[in-house]
Amino acid sequence: MKATYLRDTPLTGLLDPFGEAWSRVNTETLALSGTPSALQPTAAVRVAFPEGTIGAIRSAELAVAHNGSEIAFRLRWADASMNTAAAGEDDTLFPDGAALLFPAAPGAPLMSMGAPGKPVTAWYWRADEPDRGRHVSAQGLGSSDTLDRELVKVAGVHRDGHWHVVIARALAVAKGPATVRLVPGQATPFSLAIWEGGHRERAGIKAFAMGQHDGWHELILDPQA
Amino acid sequence: MNTSKRQLAMVMDLNKCIGCQTCTVACKTLWTGDEGMEHMWFNTVNTLPGKGTPHGWEDMGGGFDAEGNAVVGHIPSRKEFGEAWKFDHEGSYYGGKGDASHLAIAGEPPTWGPNWDEDQGEGEFPNTHYFYMPRICNHCTHPACKEACPRDAIDKREEDGIVTVNEDRCRGYRFCQAACPYKKIYFNHQKKVSQKCLFCFPRIDNGVAPACARQCPGRVRFVGYRDDPEAPIWKLVEKWKVALPLHPEYGTEPNVFYVPPIGPLSFDQDGDIDESTPRIPDAYLIRLFGPSVLDALATLKAEREKKRATGESELMDLLIAYEWKDMFGGFDTDPSTVSVVKWTNAS
Repeated sequence: MKATYLRDTPLTGLLDPFGEAWSRVNTETLALSGTPSALQPTAAVRVAFPEGTIGAIRSAELAVAHNGSEIAFRLRWADASMNTAAAGEDDTLFPDGAALLFPAAPGAPLMSMGAPGKPVTAWYWRADEPDRGRHVSAQGLGSSDTLDRELVKVAGVHRDGHWHVVIARALAVAKGPATVRLVPGQATPFSLAIWEGGHRERAGIKAFAMGQHDGWHELILDPQA
Repeated sequence: MNTSKRQLAMVMDLNKCIGCQTCTVACKTLWTGDEGMEHMWFNTVNTLPGKGTPHGWEDMGGGFDAEGNAVVGHIPSRKEFGEAWKFDHEGSYYGGKGDASHLAIAGEPPTWGPNWDEDQGEGEFPNTHYFYMPRICNHCTHPACKEACPRDAIDKREEDGIVTVNEDRCRGYRFCQAACPYKKIYFNHQKKVSQKCLFCFPRIDNGVAPACARQCPGRVRFVGYRDDPEAPIWKLVEKWKVALPLHPEYGTEPNVFYVPPIGPLSFDQDGDIDESTPRIPDAYLIRLFGPSVLDALATLKAEREKKRATGESELMDLLIAYEWKDMFGGFDTDPSTVSVVKWTNAS
């Protein structure tokens, strides 16, 4: 899919999921599927979530735009229950969440969340942390680490039975060992994951977008014309 | 198989526990005073028979089946543990409402608490019965919590087998809470991590017994390495076989052991003592500790008679604990002589 170039649109405009800027960007629907139970790292996780029970959210609408320095992903999916895992939820449910995933090294595998020496990086929004995203790196299942909580900008609104979420970041950030640089005019592999907290989805229990390129989808950033 | 070189353990003599909760308060004072820990009681004492804490925990699953397969478990809610009740301290102390409001609980009336069914027990007068069951994390040899964690955020210390949560790796996924069949793991909703009894390892590292053991006025708790033949743990568990794990069928191989309660004698219909029927039904104790509880009880009764008749019994002398410090397997350093870090620095 394509990231539309929106000249002179500030990040604040992109971070509003209902903002005018998004009317100029095409939306695509991505099918989501649950992660395989057999790939979960422990037996307790596998028995809690047998095959066929993972991935409560089956599709999401995605629009992507960049302004030459920042890129924003606007997600929209149906979710009747808004799970913020606030204190009143009695500690038995989990926050709704969404993340974009990119390989941070050539050949980094999607299904195992990277591999030793082949990191993936995620831009992660959680409904219980509405004001700031997490910049995450992983080199295999269960290895994710939050690199920082400043670089990834997020906004999430639950309205009319849907989550409307924007996840954004600068195209390039200070080069770290496990991050990704996106360049206008070029393509990048990516994927998308959504956690339905009301279904107790957390960790590797999530729905993700399976694409045609070793599991990855492809995103082509419009050049700055 | 134990992945640790040695294993620390605790034995609690249920014949001596008076349910005073001094252990509970010692632990609470030391470890769970921070925000987000209000509902946490790493040490609990409940009346049995009873539902315990969290409510009905024995029916919440987790652990392993007879073949060693993980069993699906339930994540206990804060309500099932019992919320920390809020009282009107300001009005009671300074607002002239002490008499009227000092026991009034603010908000929704609670339906459970950490010691809700105290002294209820079971049975019909005059043969009612109950006993107290103190519980901490069992620091299992086969810890279901550690094996459940997809992030490997739970450690079992190589040097002594103490099981701890690494809060830097924990993401609050709570698979450990579901997997622990004893439901002794809590979720801190402020820090978004799981937290549990740490066997007072910052004290252990300084030669000091856990606070729950040291503070116990009933001399209920023995502490030490399982393989030390000179110390009480080995003698009670291995030599005399009178200390048994709770619910061994959960498959986690606990390292907390209980000397089962003999209980009082029954009365018959005429009000005479009936020595043929134990007040606490054997079936109930078998359900808790497995069939070997009957052998343990027989040994305890025989040694008690021997002590009564001859004044001599190694087992009774151990359980009486004439010398308080001998209960701690060498971990008998006075805590006032060492500096023990608090929770926030402990992990």
